[in-house]
Amino acid sequence: MMFETLLFFAFSAVLVGAAFGVILARNPVYSALLLVLCFFNSAVIWLMLDAEFLGIVLVLVYVGAVMVLFLFVVMMLDVNLEELRKGLAGYWPIAAVVAGLMVFAILDVVVVKHLGGVSLGAAPPLPADYSNTRVLGEALFTRYAYPAQIAAVILLVASIAAIVLTLRHRPGVKPQNVGEQVRVSAKDRVRLVKMAPEKRP
Amino acid sequence: MWTWEPIRVRLSSLITAYWADPVLTAVQILMVMIGVILVMAFYTLAERKIIGWMQSRRGPNRVNLFWVPGLGQPFADVVKLLFKEILVPGDANKVLFRVAPFLTMIPALAIWSVIPFAPQKAFANIDAGLLFILAMASLGVYGVILAGWAANSKYAFLGAMRSAAQIVAYEIAMGFAMVGVLMAAGSLNIGRIIESQHGGPLSWNWFWLFPLFVVYYIAGVAETNRAPFDVAEGESEIVAGFHVDYSGMAFALFFIAEYVNMILISALTVIFFFGGWLSPFDGYLPASSLLAQPGFFWFGLKTLVPMFGFLWLRATFPRYRYDQIMRLGWKALIPVTLVWLFVEGVLIYCHVGPWKGHI
Amino acid sequence: MLDQYLPILIFMGLAAVLGLALFTIGWFAGPRRPDAQKLSPYECGFEAFEDARMRFDVRYYLVAIIFVVFDLEIAFFFPWAVSLRETGTFGLLAMLVFALLLVVALVYDYRKGALEWD
Repeated sequence: MMFETLLFFAFSAVLVGAAFGVILARNPVYSALLLVLCFFNSAVIWLMLDAEFLGIVLVLVYVGAVMVLFLFVVMMLDVNLEELRKGLAGYWPIAAVVAGLMVFAILDVVVVKHLGGVSLGAAPPLPADYSNTRVLGEALFTRYAYPAQIAAVILLVASIAAIVLTLRHRPGVKPQNVGEQVRVSAKDRVRLVKMAPEKRP
Repeated sequence: MWTWEPIRVRLSSLITAYWADPVLTAVQILMVMIGVILVMAFYTLAERKIIGWMQSRRGPNRVNLFWVPGLGQPFADVVKLLFKEILVPGDANKVLFRVAPFLTMIPALAIWSVIPFAPQKAFANIDAGLLFILAMASLGVYGVILAGWAANSKYAFLGAMRSAAQIVAYEIAMGFAMVGVLMAAGSLNIGRIIESQHGGPLSWNWFWLFPLFVVYYIAGVAETNRAPFDVAEGESEIVAGFHVDYSGMAFALFFIAEYVNMILISALTVIFFFGGWLSPFDGYLPASSLLAQPGFFWFGLKTLVPMFGFLWLRATFPRYRYDQIMRLGWKALIPVTLVWLFVEGVLIYCHVGPWKGHI
Repeated sequence: MLDQYLPILIFMGLAAVLGLALFTIGWFAGPRRPDAQKLSPYECGFEAFEDARMRFDVRYYLVAIIFVVFDLEIAFFFPWAVSLRETGTFGLLAMLVFALLLVVALVYDYRKGALEWD
């Protein structure tokens, strides 16, 4: 138990440190990488809360997919961040309001609901052959089947939107059409012409 | 018979009993890691020898070990790489340039922690083993992108971008193939996945999931950037791709990661589709006979076959063009897996096949 | 459950240590005689014209976005496949609808030529 607590504080410390790094780093690539570190540490903390599936999926989806996209954008767009930063300081009132709301929300959960009388209590012990993923799957595809379908629709909309926004066909390219190549027959390519042999003069 | 017990007792008296287990695990882990790296070293030799023979050459035959010509080649290579200068290009991003090799190597080695080498012989017998493998495998792309970007060289950058888009495309096909294995086994735990294939070669997954096996193996070859999908390195186009600016031991780390990943893909192919440590005589001979015993022997023996396949593919096929790679990944492999997942669902529903616990 | 994850943590730590050890040995065993030519980016002997970090074809982003979408779908497939025996026919049908939406996305990508690489 002692060891787990120690691990929790170690990973949380790295998480908070990395999160500060994300907003303080000057180089956007460093920011993106520190965000990866953040996700990784949160995944470990979720694992320690017995959320096995969610913890690993966090690594799979956010670190393995979303952050790769971020890195692509940050590395290849070649943006000049100093220019973007110029007017940034003027936005601090909005930032303060948002930050205040978030702090309030967290305090509400941690202090009022947890410390203020209503104890969450220790989680009940898990049965021996408990499988986090199976339990989640059961819930997701029976009770929450409808929200799951909505998620699928959202993903469909996302991929359509991505194509509508970014797909531009370059004019004048001649891509290889495998179907056409396979379907071609000798008749279309070679024309045998019957002709009488020429006479020697 | 040599056992751990005396060492364990001594260790627990040296350091408190609380720490004996983690330290013992660490020692064992180190042994497995060094074992994997040794296999990888001889795999490079096997590659050069086998491709040599396929091309009517001799392959490396100068460095002798135990009077076998060429057997010492991997060690000679290591010593050479050790004493080479590690260059860091002047325009490179110095920190990321040095970090990138580690980001490739750590995930490649970390996946071995959930691989069961024999019944009940995995370091981490976690419930979500397969998910962990997929998640760790998806981290490998970072090393490639960062190496290519940090070097600040055009070839490296092109190689990194090509490689990233390719890895990303084939990971989808790989993930769907894994879903098929999951449907058959009904568990994410690697040990259970192997046990569910119990009952002889015809009840191993390859028989009923043959298209998924083919897709998985092809996607595995593409994920490791091996020929014929090696456009990320493409010696004749972009010289060596993302690691062109690396030298010495920094390059060796990429090299180790690539070959460890190849062995890993082979091991996973065997685990998912060929029954892992199950004996091929299991179900045909009586369970008490020696040949029907499951164990590391069978696992190792089976893993050698897909490992050989990697080399065979490299010697046989010319490199794919990039648009062909993308077409194969998106338009052939993913539709095939989706169709077969549907077929598998119907099969399970109609009680066809060896699957336990039908709906 | 958690004690099963400790070896993974040790494994990753040791992998990092092993890599670091190899790197450090190489760093100190090898010579270090840098010069301007050696440290210039490798471009087959040419002088580099410009910064290597250039803008890239938008197609790479498109592939990455489609990848994110499909990766999420896989994250939905995994718990479904594991609980296939428990959710029964209803689960099977729920996934059929889910997968059909995925197929619609794939067919759309296909027909629009987003998977084409030209």
